[in-house]
Amino acid sequence: MWEWWKKNRSLLIGLALVLTALLCYSLGLRTEERTGWIEGLSLRLGGPVLGTAASARYAVAGIWDAVIPGGSSLDLDAESRRLRAEMAGVEELQRENERLRRLLGFVEEHPRRSVAARVIAEDAASWFRTIEIDRGYEDGVVEGLPVVNAAGLLGRVVRSTAHSARILLITDASSAVAVLVQDERIRGVCRGQGGTLALDFALVQDPIQIGDGVITSGLGGVFPKGLVVGYVRSVHREQFGLFQTVELEPAVDFAHLEEVLVLFRETP
Amino acid sequence: MRVLIYLVLAGLALVLQTVLLPPFFPNGIKPDLMLLLVIWIGLREPPWQGGVLVYGLGWLYDSYAGIFPGLHGFVLLAVFLIICGMATRLNTESLPLVWCLVGGGTLLQGALTMFAIEFFADADQFWTVMLRCLPAQLLSNLLAAYLLYCAGLRFQKIVDRLPPGMMPRPLRRHES
Repeated sequence: MWEWWKKNRSLLIGLALVLTALLCYSLGLRTEERTGWIEGLSLRLGGPVLGTAASARYAVAGIWDAVIPGGSSLDLDAESRRLRAEMAGVEELQRENERLRRLLGFVEEHPRRSVAARVIAEDAASWFRTIEIDRGYEDGVVEGLPVVNAAGLLGRVVRSTAHSARILLITDASSAVAVLVQDERIRGVCRGQGGTLALDFALVQDPIQIGDGVITSGLGGVFPKGLVVGYVRSVHREQFGLFQTVELEPAVDFAHLEEVLVLFRETP
Repeated sequence: MRVLIYLVLAGLALVLQTVLLPPFFPNGIKPDLMLLLVIWIGLREPPWQGGVLVYGLGWLYDSYAGIFPGLHGFVLLAVFLIICGMATRLNTESLPLVWCLVGGGTLLQGALTMFAIEFFADADQFWTVMLRCLPAQLLSNLLAAYLLYCAGLRFQKIVDRLPPGMMPRPLRRHES
């Protein structure tokens, strides 16, 4: 027995460590909706670094777009480059102004207390869909609040520290939103598919058409009713199935998120 | 000192993966530099110290990836221990072998992530997203490993000039 233990000791201890890590992960799932102290600490420490890196990235991207349009004008003279760089700053301000104006329009349409935030980071892994914003619980941003932009619903806050928060996007596979097909008032659950969305639990006889708008139903209490989620891209009805397969195109362009709006809960 | 270097590299990897690389990878699939770092640690560090370090790095990774605390701690620790066990039997300095380790590590990471999420968490369709992403993830990791390997060769001379205390531990064949 002792010989066997000595021979397989490394393997067994390694296996025990991995199983312990799996157990810790399993226990951690119970606090999925809260910000743990490790996450809080690393987000708090990493937030300013990511914010600075994001500012640098946006600045460089703005100048790059203006100085080298399409990447094919490398032979521009120095004066032209300088003027283009100056114009890039102005254009970047104009674009930001335009985006903020659209957000303001959204706020006027949906009279609800909100706070604007800037996207500073995306998810580190390729298979999850989260973003980090530069507002935290000191600005009133706490777990569970819905996040939108002028185009529609983005997701909800899942982690919050003093000056930053993480948002679970509706395109993430672990995200589910109670929705309505706008014209036919058909209820369903919208689930993330990575880049697209799927409408679950739509009965096969429901008359869903390509192009139909899908909005939040307000059920579940997380998202307010009436936020645009997406549009029907394709519908497949099996002859003997109970439900139809509906794919949605998100209303929001998730590849180019810069400013977002966190909606606060309505106080009675 | 080596731990500090690994932590700085992990921080750099996270900044690259969350802020600087995404604009160049519009579909959201970018090289997993943290995985490459863990494989590198697996080739250089003994199981106990390296295991603790990698588990900590996994928790750090979880702060910026997904919503499942402890997921990457488990996945990266498992990848690290397997790499550690194999490092004794392989010539870890050849490029094809580095590619094999990165390819195998990526597939193992994908399989373990899928297992941990499908069996323990509430994300029914996660496996479809994962399977769609995995080939592109594999390619981007292999490309990143190749570029880092080439860059590593170029910077070898600079690293050689560092004081001995700051030198990363040389590749070893530790006893199993």
